[in-house]
Amino acid sequence: MKTNDVIIQFTAKLVFFMIFFYAVHIFFAGHYTPGGGFVGGLVTASAIVLLIVAFDLKTVQTILPINYIYMVASGLILALGTAAISMFAGKPFFTHYFDYYNLPILGKTSLHTAALFDLGVYLVVVGVTMTIIQTIGEDE
Amino acid sequence: MSFQILLNLFLAFLWMFLSSNYSVSRFIIGYLLGLVVIVALRKFFKSRLYIDRVWAVIKLSVLFIKELILANVSVLTLVLKPKLELQPAFFKYETKLTEEWEITLLSSLITLTPGTVVVHVSDDSKSLFIHVIDSNDIDETIDSIKNSFEKAILEVSRS
Repeated sequence: MKTNDVIIQFTAKLVFFMIFFYAVHIFFAGHYTPGGGFVGGLVTASAIVLLIVAFDLKTVQTILPINYIYMVASGLILALGTAAISMFAGKPFFTHYFDYYNLPILGKTSLHTAALFDLGVYLVVVGVTMTIIQTIGEDE
Repeated sequence: MSFQILLNLFLAFLWMFLSSNYSVSRFIIGYLLGLVVIVALRKFFKSRLYIDRVWAVIKLSVLFIKELILANVSVLTLVLKPKLELQPAFFKYETKLTEEWEITLLSSLITLTPGTVVVHVSDDSKSLFIHVIDSNDIDETIDSIKNSFEKAILEVSRS
């Protein structure tokens, strides 16, 4: 019995982009305002879960062929690498660096290595959430 | 339609480069000039003018807000009546719309105007099943949907 899910599928396609953009916004807002890697990762995972609910697991896996285990691993390596970089300069573990740069379009922007650490957190959170949901979903 | 928008943007950039003044106001002036040229040469395009469709979208939005207020007032009168003489019913609504986004938009509009809720789309996407709060005037409801929302959506989507 296959029903016609035209409304939820079209809406999910539209809303996915909005939720993903909101996740990116909340990820970059984490330094001065509420937000950060953890919340951004959860919101991104919820956007992918919305697609899974509207379509099904196999379709979404063909649309987004991501191995989430590798995603978790790369996130952990990124976070650990960001923390370990300062040790090569003779500073203690987890020393962060930041400076102001004049980028061509954005103007004066402060670039901070904490953002890279946050990106690692983000990748781990998305990967772990999606791994849990996919593993439970594939269970027959 | 998308080609016309791209052409209009290109003309706006061309105007900016010609006047070698790269500001927002210059861009807006170029965009409006390009719009004038595109409207003047509308016979060359196979599809409708895109500004026409933008106008249709604005009309649809205004119609939706008007219908929302009117329908909410009518439901308020239903709720405040001391005697509930409602006859809820389901009916089938044959739609002329074919595209996914058209059906979704029509269903959302029907659902957001109180008194009617879309509960199912048939498998061939040719008819909607609608639950109506008061079945005394089903024909009137069908007519109002046909003449307001469906007509406005067709106005937007016809090429």
